[in-house]
Formats: sequence, C-alpha cells, structure tokens
Amino acid sequence: MSLIEVKNLGKVYENEGVKTEALKGATFHIKKGEFVAIMGQSGSGKSTLLQILGLLDDYTSGTYHFADKNIKDYNPEEIAKLRNEKMGFVFQAFNLLPRSSVLENVKLPLLYSSRPESEWENRAKAAVIAVGLEHRMYHEATQLSGGEKQRVAIARALVNSPEVIFADEPTGNLDSKSGQAVIEIIQKLNREMGHTIILITHETYTAEYAERIIRLHDGEIESDTQVKERRIDGKDFIK
Amino acid sequence: MKLTYTLKTATNGLQTHKSRSALTILGIVIGITSIILVMSLGQGAQNLILGQVKGLGATTVIVLPGKISFGPSTAASTMNDSLKEKDLNLIKAKANVPNSKYIMPMVVGSGKAVYGSNVYQVAVFGSGELVPQIFSISPDRGYFFSDDDVRSRSAVVVIGYKVKQRLFENEDAVGQKIRIKNTTFKVIGVLPEKGSSSSFDDAVFMPYTTTQQYITGTKFYSRIVVVADTEANLKSTVNDITNTLRDSHNITDPEKDDFSVTTSADIAKTLGTVTSALTAFLAAVAAISLIVGGVGIMNIMLVSVTERTKEIGLRKALGATDKDIQTQFLLEAVILTALGGIIGIILGSALAYVVSLLISKFAGLDWQYVFPISAAILGLVVSSLVGLVFGIYPARQAAKKSPMEALRYE
Repeated sequence: MSLIEVKNLGKVYENEGVKTEALKGATFHIKKGEFVAIMGQSGSGKSTLLQILGLLDDYTSGTYHFADKNIKDYNPEEIAKLRNEKMGFVFQAFNLLPRSSVLENVKLPLLYSSRPESEWENRAKAAVIAVGLEHRMYHEATQLSGGEKQRVAIARALVNSPEVIFADEPTGNLDSKSGQAVIEIIQKLNREMGHTIILITHETYTAEYAERIIRLHDGEIESDTQVKERRIDGKDFIK
Repeated sequence: MKLTYTLKTATNGLQTHKSRSALTILGIVIGITSIILVMSLGQGAQNLILGQVKGLGATTVIVLPGKISFGPSTAASTMNDSLKEKDLNLIKAKANVPNSKYIMPMVVGSGKAVYGSNVYQVAVFGSGELVPQIFSISPDRGYFFSDDDVRSRSAVVVIGYKVKQRLFENEDAVGQKIRIKNTTFKVIGVLPEKGSSSSFDDAVFMPYTTTQQYITGTKFYSRIVVVADTEANLKSTVNDITNTLRDSHNITDPEKDDFSVTTSADIAKTLGTVTSALTAFLAAVAAISLIVGGVGIMNIMLVSVTERTKEIGLRKALGATDKDIQTQFLLEAVILTALGGIIGIILGSALAYVVSLLISKFAGLDWQYVFPISAAILGLVVSSLVGLVFGIYPARQAAKKSPMEALRYE
C-alpha cells in the first residue's frame, strides 16, 4: 500500500513576474515502512519536493495523495493536524527552541496534538531515550553539541509516532562522526520501529543508508533505484 | 492547542525578553497610572465639595440676587440689589410661601477684625437669629444673638473658631470688644471648630441689620435662606418663592429673572457635574497615552513576530494551526498590557494616596483618599482591550506566515 503517491507533481515559483519551474512533473510512490533518499545538486528541486510532501508548501500542478486521500481535499486545519500527527520533521538547522530544555523541545508537537496531557511526559521521555539523550533530558538546547541537537530534533519528530519522518539534510551541519551517529539513529527508526523515512541529502555515503534513492536533476526525476549495497551501522552490507 | 499551554507559551515568550517587555508596557503603565490618579483625586474633590454642600441640609432653599445660581458669588451678590426688604416680607407671608419653616436673609461682607495688636481678615456674615437652627452650629461659649438684636441693630458678633484663635489666642473672647471697619462690636459667642471645609471658622456672624448699617452700607440682601418644613415640600417651596419674586419684580419672562432660587441638591448636582466633567477631561488626556502605549506594543510585537519567524515556521511544521499562532501572539500582547494595567492601578492608587495625604496635611483640607474601584476595573479592561486591539495585527501577520518560508528565514 502506498503511503505517498504523487503524479506529475509540479511547482512553479513566481517572483516579481519571473517564473521559475522548480519541479517538473514528478511521479512516484512511497510505500509504508520504506526508507527513501532523495538526492540531487542544489537547485535540483529536492528541497521543494520534500516541502511539498511534508505539506509545508503548495504544489502548482499534478496530484498528491497521502494515505490514499488527495491533499486538495484537506482544509488548512486538517493539514496542520496531518503535519502534527502523521509527519515528523528533522531540519538541517535543527530548529530547536533555544531557551527550553531538551524535554520541552521534544514535547512541542504534543502541545498541538489531541493526545491526553497525561501521556505527554512519558512519550517525550521515551523519545529522548530512543535517541540516547536521557542524560541530557533537562539541559537547555543551547548547551548541546550539534550532533546532540539533531538527536533532540529526531526525538521531537518521533514523539507523536508519525507515519513518516522527513529529514532535510540532517547531517549537513554536522561533522562526519556525529553525522554518522545521526544517520544511524534515523536508520534504526526505519529498521527497528518501522517508520517511513524520506531523507534529503547530497552525499552518496549518507544516501546509501536508505533502501531506495530518487535522484533529481533540474526538477525532474533522473533515476529511481534500489540501493544495492546498503550501509548498515557504518558497515558495508549487501542486500 | 489548549489555552493553558498557549498561555504558558506566551508567558515564556515574554520572559525571554524581560527588559524589552518591561519597556514595552511603560506606556500602558503611565497611562493607567495617570487615569487612576486623576479619577481618585477627582472623586476626592467631589466628595469634599459635596460634603460642604450637604452641610446646608436637604430642605434648604437659597435665594440669590442675579442670575447666577451658585459659585463665588460674594462680589456679584454684594453688587446686585435685586433682593430687598419688600421681597423678604413677601416670602415671609404664609399666603405666598405656605410651607416655609425658617426664613432668614443674609448680608455678606468682609473686613479686618482688630483686637489689641492682632489683626485678622474675616468674612462678615450678617444673618438672622436662626443660624443655629439652619446651619446646625451653636456657640460652645457664649450665645447666639436674638431677634431683638436684629431689630435693634446691636453691635454684637459671634466669632468663628479661627477668628478667636488669631485675635484672642488663649484669652477668653466672650465679653471682649473687637473693631471691624471702625465700629466696635462686642463678642457674645464663639463657634466651635467646623473644620477646614467650612468657611465659618474664618467668619464673624452679626445681625444682618447691623451689617447693612456698619459694614456694607447697603439696603439689600446677599441671599435669603428659606428652609422648607419637609423634604416633600421642597419643590413647591422653590416654585412659590420663584412666583412670589417674579410678581414682586414684575417679571413675566423666566429668562429675565433677576434672582435665582436653588436648593442644596441643585448645587450638589451642578458642582458634581462640573467636577465629573473636569475629571473626565483629565482622564481623556491621560487616555491618549494609552493609545501611544498601544502603538508601542504593536510596534514591538511586529518586531517580535519578525524576529521569531523561524519559531513560527517550526511551530507550524510541528502542527500548530494559524489560530494557535494567532492566539499565542495575541495573548502575549494582552498579557503585556494587562500587566501594565495592574502595575498602573497599583502605582496610581499609591500616588493618589500620597497626594491625598499631602493635600490634607499641607492644604489643611478635610480630604479623604478614595480608591476608584470603577476606574480600576475600567483601567484593567481598557488596558487588556488595548492589547487586543493593537495585538491583533501583529498576531495576524504571524499566523499568515507560510511555514516553509518562515523556516527558511534567516
């Protein structure tokens, strides 16, 4: 069953009368539980694609079905609910609230959810433990290293048990060692907890943690292939 | 999102910018402080004036010459000669004014009272013998003069408390002689202290006939005081007096009245209106600073929204609806202004209390501090409203941001 299904998805930006075609008719399916990497150079439209899939931006042509329902059939409130309950986001720039503790940051999506308040604390703690930051639970976000910040962001994406986690260059701001730790956690979410992951990266090394790579070039899908030699826990792994 | 959490989020947002928040609400604090101060002092002034007027009694009617009905009428009433002995006799006639209990003319003058080397400027109240009944004041030493004294124009005076203090100090005044305008008067009574809100302490009472003869040298009255027998008959008494005087003065057009008939209730009402209007005017001036404060709030909230664009984008990405974001920023504005209002109320009441103390201490007035409850409630409501009105635009701006563009914002 397809969780995400897009057909001829297109996006045209218009800036002071100048039209830029960022996405030119992308068509693909993503199944529940899949780990897909979207690759491409800057300007290839990969971020645009992720933002559209994550309902952070609108598309201008084509169709997008999420869980078999057309996105155009949702009103703005329902889209906010969808983002809150079905989707998790990990950004390149972490985007944590600087003066709040790790636990409070992780709780943030729950504040906007319909889950009972009594569950919040335990859910947030479980998510922090899942990314191995239990010893940082009450530290302020600003006191953490880059790798730790990104792990907090992952915990935050995880806390509401979403169907899909979108990760936009999650290792882009990290050194290779903490970057590897982060991508390994993301992979673990997919392999052990069954989360669908859509990862954006321009590094082949990072992309090879996924099962499938969609390559974009100039707003068009160049290739859509399964990863033959998948990387697992930093070791080469042949599928 | 639950309101309690929005509230917490909003307070957190404010706490991260403590000094900025404090500076932002300064305008509101000043505005509410001035409004509370003005309202409190206005109410205090009103109570003071009403207290004085009420001392006249609810059944008292005052007839004044000329058209003005109240106020600093000494000059006008000494100049105006429309109330004469003929009028007094007509009013005294039961056929004309059936429901009167007391009728007493007054002649007001002033002069320097001299005793030995002591000199004191006094108000001279030429009155009838009914002062103790009408004004509820009797000499605590000596006695008040009688109708015989009035008829025979006796040179006797009953002196006010301060006059006694200044002229005689610790000496006994009764039986002594003082001079006013080169006439010697015998002191027959001393009035008790009436307090700073009364003009009696600085006055001497003598028969009005004596005043006409020695002090003013005139034949007319400064006023005629009539007391109705019951409060129910007050209105008819006013009408009776008015009609009698119109007949006597051959006036058909009420616009051309050369006298005025008022009651203590009328005076209280008019004075009340004047002080209320003055208070309202001052409060309105103070309210302008609320508008200025509101614009300041709007300004800072707009800056805050721009500065926190990324945070807004993040919250939206995590599931916040437009309404959640709008409520958060609106609440921040309302909390700010309501807090400013509360601080203003506390500050304004404290200031008003200090000013009241100073007035009663240094101006020697019987001034009571009033906490303006209605103004305090109004101040709280208005300051919250200011937050609502001036917060809605920045909050809308925040809610309108597209999550993607907000996240990209640097």
